[in-house]
Amino acid sequence: MAEAKKVILRISRFNPEFDEKPHFQDFEIEIPKGMTVLEALYFIKENIDPTLTFRGFCRSAICGSCSVKVNGHPKLACKTQIWQEIERFGTNILKIEPLGNMKVIRDLAVDFSEAEEKLKKVKPYLIPDPEVIPDTNDEESIVYPEEMEKFDKFTDCILCGTCYSMCPAVMFIDDYAGPFQFGRIFRFAEDPRDGLKKERSKIAYAFELWKCIRCERCADICPKHIHPVEAVTHLRAMSIEKGLTLNPGARHAIAFYKSVTSTGMLNEAILPIMSKGIKGVLENMPVALSFLLKGKMPPPIVKPIEDIEGFKKVVSLSAEVE
Amino acid sequence: MLQLDVAIIGAGGAGLYAALSAIKKNPSLRVGVITKVFPTRSHTGAAQGGVNAALSNVAEDSPEKHTYDTIKGSDFLADQDAVELMCHIAPKIIREMEHMGLPFSRLENGKIAQRPFGGASFPRTCYAADKTGHVMLQTLYEQCIRRNVKFFNEWFVTALVHDEQKVCGLIAIDMKSGKIEVIRAKAVILATGGHARIYWRRTSNALGCTGDGTAIALKAGVPLKDMEFVQFHPTGLRRTGILVTEGARGEGGYLINKDGERFMKRYAPEKMELAPRDLVSRAIETEIAEGRGFRDNEGNEFVYLDLRHLGKKKIMERLPQIRELAIDFEGIDPIEEPIPIRPTAHYCMGGVDTDIDGKTIIDGLFAAGECACVSVHGANRLGGNSLLDIVVFGKITGELASEYATSSQLSEFPISALKDERQKIESLFEKDGKEKLADLRNKLSDILTYGAGIFREEGRLKEALDKVKEIKERAQHLKVEDLSYTFNTNLQQTLEFLNMVELAEVTVMTALERRESRGAHYRVDYPKRDDKNFLKHSIVTLENGEYKLSYKPVNITKYKPEERKY
Repeated sequence: MAEAKKVILRISRFNPEFDEKPHFQDFEIEIPKGMTVLEALYFIKENIDPTLTFRGFCRSAICGSCSVKVNGHPKLACKTQIWQEIERFGTNILKIEPLGNMKVIRDLAVDFSEAEEKLKKVKPYLIPDPEVIPDTNDEESIVYPEEMEKFDKFTDCILCGTCYSMCPAVMFIDDYAGPFQFGRIFRFAEDPRDGLKKERSKIAYAFELWKCIRCERCADICPKHIHPVEAVTHLRAMSIEKGLTLNPGARHAIAFYKSVTSTGMLNEAILPIMSKGIKGVLENMPVALSFLLKGKMPPPIVKPIEDIEGFKKVVSLSAEVE
Repeated sequence: MLQLDVAIIGAGGAGLYAALSAIKKNPSLRVGVITKVFPTRSHTGAAQGGVNAALSNVAEDSPEKHTYDTIKGSDFLADQDAVELMCHIAPKIIREMEHMGLPFSRLENGKIAQRPFGGASFPRTCYAADKTGHVMLQTLYEQCIRRNVKFFNEWFVTALVHDEQKVCGLIAIDMKSGKIEVIRAKAVILATGGHARIYWRRTSNALGCTGDGTAIALKAGVPLKDMEFVQFHPTGLRRTGILVTEGARGEGGYLINKDGERFMKRYAPEKMELAPRDLVSRAIETEIAEGRGFRDNEGNEFVYLDLRHLGKKKIMERLPQIRELAIDFEGIDPIEEPIPIRPTAHYCMGGVDTDIDGKTIIDGLFAAGECACVSVHGANRLGGNSLLDIVVFGKITGELASEYATSSQLSEFPISALKDERQKIESLFEKDGKEKLADLRNKLSDILTYGAGIFREEGRLKEALDKVKEIKERAQHLKVEDLSYTFNTNLQQTLEFLNMVELAEVTVMTALERRESRGAHYRVDYPKRDDKNFLKHSIVTLENGEYKLSYKPVNITKYKPEERKY
């Protein structure tokens, strides 16, 4: 018999037929080494409480059904080892909750339909480019491995919803597409076979691309190690290239870029007016005043750094590499 | 009552391809996919290694050679006309999916890459690293969104309704609300996947691969074919049975026993690790039975799949997911240590009896993919042929169902069918609860593994048949203990188990009657293939509450059955 540890699974329970709000229920069980959160949930369902409700399907981290929060962190239950979690958190209590940013259907099962609708809205499918894709099935399109490499990682997305579940922008901005949705847009924007290509950044733009605060929580918790913020960053650059510059985000980025490339320094004093115009100046006035009073106001005129020519060379070299 | 022109049950590769093809053929049709999981959760996503097509991108190949390899792999039980059809469509359908955006791995010259796989004479398997099924499923789902296919996500179909001649529609539970609903349809395509979950404790399959479509067809009087043939994949992870792709051997992985020996040299000296799956699985089990396997302190027996000599770069590039699975589920990094593996129940060659077009005996009812038996895999499927099967026959059935629906009317839906079904489901809440679901499920799994697993024998099969019937009897006492309407997974799992018991009985029954060894069906007491008596498909039909067994001939075109050597 394998070694076992007593663990309390503190599971969020909610049944809309008779609960007003969720509550926790503790299940104390013996967990052998190697047992996953999903296996433990099934153990409870089969031996203690058949009404416990959760999703599970492939058991091998490819279907994305079983994502839940374990001690506050969204994870795939099937690949989360309980012993490891106990060690990580230094406690024998594991709190299991449904994902955030989605309505709870029952216990740990959440309603994915809003996230799904947002995915559908961003045109998450290849629209063939007739220049690249042959018009008969007798030939394949030619795609070089280095072209694939640019977007391949984003095709790993299993739509598990973990990134979406803890994204602050999703939480506060109704029209915000969401991390995996931006990942999908980027995947097609980089695919040489796609008819829209970089134009896709306009779709991202329409779904509040600039509202990502780059907290990187999506990238931290993605069970497939995808980095949605990278997609957002690239899509922002593409959208500027496509002329979508009349917004605070793009203007901020452009001002930042101009300031740094022309002087080698960031001119913080003029950033508000460059990004948001007079409105930005007025909005930032109280902050600016308190900076002034404390003697912390950055000077509005910045002297270029000494070796500005050398710096410019580095900038243009790095642009070439991109 | 909801109405559709084409209703597709199941949202894996076959179901989604069928939906796409149906709607492309006639965009004015109402095409709906009814699925018990969100579409991209379907088990197609777990297929890792690849999909076969004679593209000749790596070595000169041809559909004829692909046909021959498939027929030989099937131990000559496959219908040769169907195999020819599949292998000849293969290159076109691979390109069609490539044109939909499927991100295949590429060669330096920009063409689709291909790797060697078991039982194939050339590197024929197109792949996307070790996530081929996943990207295929995602791509097809994306295109279904593009074409506005209607989805009924998390609807569990419990019955198929027809009027003896034509299909009328289906009955399903909307899991979210718990409501039992009727969907009328002119054409119905079953695409619900396999039922290898009958071997519950040792299978690579997802928890939901319970053969629901196959079982509702059986209960509706539609014949099943070749149900005795279940493939065990040689390389399942030691503890969980989770799949390690054949691609791992395709890329050059070794199988090693306790003496550090590449034991395949005794079983398939030429093909070694790349012999077909039935042969490799038996070889591993023989090594273990003869004391040349390993045993861990939990009592798991296994051999090693060694990838270390491939080097870090190749493993990271071609098998990244396998590496992660081994780390997450076995605590082993294949770059540094060999992976402990043992065969695991993987694929059902048998299923709903269809003709070469995926048609069943009921007008307007089609079946495609693993739930169907056309048959293109015969007694043993080759790796890389299942992803091909689902897209080829998904496409064919989708187009035919579309044509059928365009030129036919909705049949009258017998309202009594809904009443009966409702009563049957409600009665499950009122049983005495003397038996427990998990107990019965584990017992069924043990009975099948021992009695109808990799090695089979008359006495053990007879015993297994009695025991399965006993389980079926005991299952009458199963009670759904969760009384809620909302997302009642206890109800769903009970219904799934009741489906599995029926399929288990048919599996054992047909295995008992096939007194020969062919492909994945290996009889210790009849170790030779017997073409004189058994070169035929077994057919099981439910008649007056009893399963009737009959046989029908194999279609042989130009490949004469010969001894199968590798």
